[in-house]
Amino acid sequence: MKAQVAKRPAHGLGSAVWLQGLACGAVVAMATPTAVLGALLLAPGIAALLLERRTGRPAARVTLLCGAAAAAAPLTALWQAGLGVGGALAAASDPTVLAGCWAAQAAGWLLVQLAPVLLRLAFDARAAAIAARLRTERARYESEWGIPPADGP
Amino acid sequence: MPATPSPDDTHNLIAGNLIAGTYGVDVARPLPGAGGGLPAFAVIDRVAGRSGLMAVQSAPGAPPRAMALNALAGWSEDGLLVPLAHGPGQGARGEAAWFVVSAAPPGPSLAAALRPWSEPELLEFVLRPAAAVLAALDLHRVTHRAIRIDNIFRAGMAAPVVLGTAWSAPPAQHQPALFEPPYSAMCLPSGRGDGTIADDIYALGVTLVVLALGRLPLEGLDPVAILRRKLALGSYAALVGDERLPPAIGDLVRGMLAEDPEHRPPPMLLADPAAARARRVAARPPRRGQRPLELSGERVWDVRTLAHAVATDPDEGGRLLRSGTVDRWLRRNLGDPTMAARLDEVTRLHDVDGLADTARADALMTMRAVAILDPLAPLCWRGAALWPDGLGPALASAEAMGGEAGDLLAERLGDLVACEATGHWALMRPERCDAVALRLLARQRRAMVHLRGWGGGLARLRYALNPLLACGSPVVAGRMVARLQDLLAALETAAARPELRRGQPVDREIAAFVAARNDQRFEAELVGMADTAAPEQAALMQLRLLAGLQRRVDGRALPGLAGWLAEQAAPTLAAWRNRPRREALERAVAEVARSGQLSPMVGLLDNGAARAADTRGFHAAGEAVQRIDAAIATLAGAAPARAEAARRIGHEVALGIAMMAVTVAVVAAVLA
Repeated sequence: MKAQVAKRPAHGLGSAVWLQGLACGAVVAMATPTAVLGALLLAPGIAALLLERRTGRPAARVTLLCGAAAAAAPLTALWQAGLGVGGALAAASDPTVLAGCWAAQAAGWLLVQLAPVLLRLAFDARAAAIAARLRTERARYESEWGIPPADGP
Repeated sequence: MPATPSPDDTHNLIAGNLIAGTYGVDVARPLPGAGGGLPAFAVIDRVAGRSGLMAVQSAPGAPPRAMALNALAGWSEDGLLVPLAHGPGQGARGEAAWFVVSAAPPGPSLAAALRPWSEPELLEFVLRPAAAVLAALDLHRVTHRAIRIDNIFRAGMAAPVVLGTAWSAPPAQHQPALFEPPYSAMCLPSGRGDGTIADDIYALGVTLVVLALGRLPLEGLDPVAILRRKLALGSYAALVGDERLPPAIGDLVRGMLAEDPEHRPPPMLLADPAAARARRVAARPPRRGQRPLELSGERVWDVRTLAHAVATDPDEGGRLLRSGTVDRWLRRNLGDPTMAARLDEVTRLHDVDGLADTARADALMTMRAVAILDPLAPLCWRGAALWPDGLGPALASAEAMGGEAGDLLAERLGDLVACEATGHWALMRPERCDAVALRLLARQRRAMVHLRGWGGGLARLRYALNPLLACGSPVVAGRMVARLQDLLAALETAAARPELRRGQPVDREIAAFVAARNDQRFEAELVGMADTAAPEQAALMQLRLLAGLQRRVDGRALPGLAGWLAEQAAPTLAAWRNRPRREALERAVAEVARSGQLSPMVGLLDNGAARAADTRGFHAAGEAVQRIDAAIATLAGAAPARAEAARRIGHEVALGIAMMAVTVAVVAAVLA
């Protein structure tokens, strides 16, 4: 039973990988310049997608989306100019375009890392404020009714 | 003669020593021999200016005879030093004492110049006036119990005698064995009881013998030897012996000294000596055994001396009773199988009683045996003899005696009450007493001793049976507190002593005193005071008790006592849980205490509705604190959940921002 449960995701994942490989192969075959430019501009996101092991790959997803947002303009320009692989390589070799895409992906990755930390800080601050208010109320009861402190004997 | 003080000194002395607001006791002027064995002092009547009065000072632990003083209040009788007033005062050394005011003796006592009196003198100046006084006393149901030659006075050679004072001590306490019937002489001096007028007749008979002889008979014998001689020979034979008395006196005295009180002539009859002389009562002497019975080294020849021997040595007597030695002696040597059979029943009862408590069973057995052997004998319990109406003074003397002897006597008397011995004793001699009444009395006394709380115990019984016994609490030591109205003033004085303020004002002794003097109005408070598990209630009960007394007595302000009680109310105040309210209450109690009124303090501290609200508030506060603690604990325990939520929401937010950026970028690219 355990073996079946362990095999099923691998089987599903393998199908997805095969489908994704098939799609990529189709794109490379049918739109090679676009694929070349996309691969070069989204290289950090693709690397994150391959390296990240967390469920749902949240960092890779955000990194790729941020990269895609930055790569939208160069890709549109490539399509409108009708350039081939040479044009794609020329666009990718523009440091401004490449750095912009990669910086956007870096920002996305940073956003994924910082958002939980900031939210946790906000949540803890709110809990601490509530606890302080409760302790103040308790101290009033202690003083008024002679109730022993919580950590007392 | 004492030195006569100056008028100013006398005035000052007397001003602080007024009895009933009228009679000033001049303790600088003692009257030796006038008090019937007690110190007596000259008295000045500050209202009517009467002279020739005296005050007799009672001894500690020997209270005056309250019933006699009440019965004789407002009474006047020639031939008797009648009590005029009584109350607390200060003795010659400044000690607190109870004084009884009466007329001073008109002259020296008969013992001052003892000589043989002639028959007409005895009849005219002694018998008739004394019999008239005894008849009048008998009408008031009062006995004198102090008739003896040094307590009978005479103004001059041709004056009738005057009976001295007999009200400042328990009945017959100061009577020598010579002047007492043997069944009274064998008792504890304080346990002789009021007795009957026949006991006074006996003492008067002895007085007649002494005066007729001109000397004391049996002089040189100790009281025990006198008693044994009277029991063995009969009082008349023991006292008169071979002496010759005037014929009329001899006949009268023979009847007056009869062992059985019922055989003695009544005082009305003695007022007419000729008639009294003609009255003859055949009193059979006790049957003598063929051989004596040895008991405690004493050779016993008859049942009367056997009863006395068993009474004085109950251990040995009980052993002989159980072994059947007494039974055999009664059957074989005395020829009295009826009495032997009755004693046999007593020893059988012992086997039944002994199932519960052997010592008590032994004491009950010897007591019953003495009552059967000699129905005239008093109640003999574990070596102590007393009459039931002498129990109160006997308890008081045991307490005053102190030490091991006092404790032993008190323990014996307590045991007597606990066993209802008086009731058992009465059942053994129903023809000699009202057995039903005595049984009921014994039951009531036992119930009083067994009352719960501080309102019960032997101390309660002691005060109940001695209405003028001073409270023996160390808190009021040095003060004569015999009545409730004296207690609060004494406590107010005691409040000035810091060493006493460390404890409660009302101790067990005072509680018993109040319970006995106050007709059971404070039973709940007296029970509550003994509750050591609830000190706040005990302090409140003390306050309620004393406030009730203050209302009842005169309502005089008692700031010292109120301050003392306010200090002692700390446990009661501590029971209030709400701190602001408690502090306000403390301030209010201190404020009221300064006014010296105790009832408002009770109103503040004994507010049931406010206390209930306080308790409810405390419980509500406890529940609220529990909720707070639970909420704080929940917050502390939710940190991992918060971290997970922050991570999840953070990722979703980042994803949302990224998707928004893509959307904007794609739209911009398309439009461009």
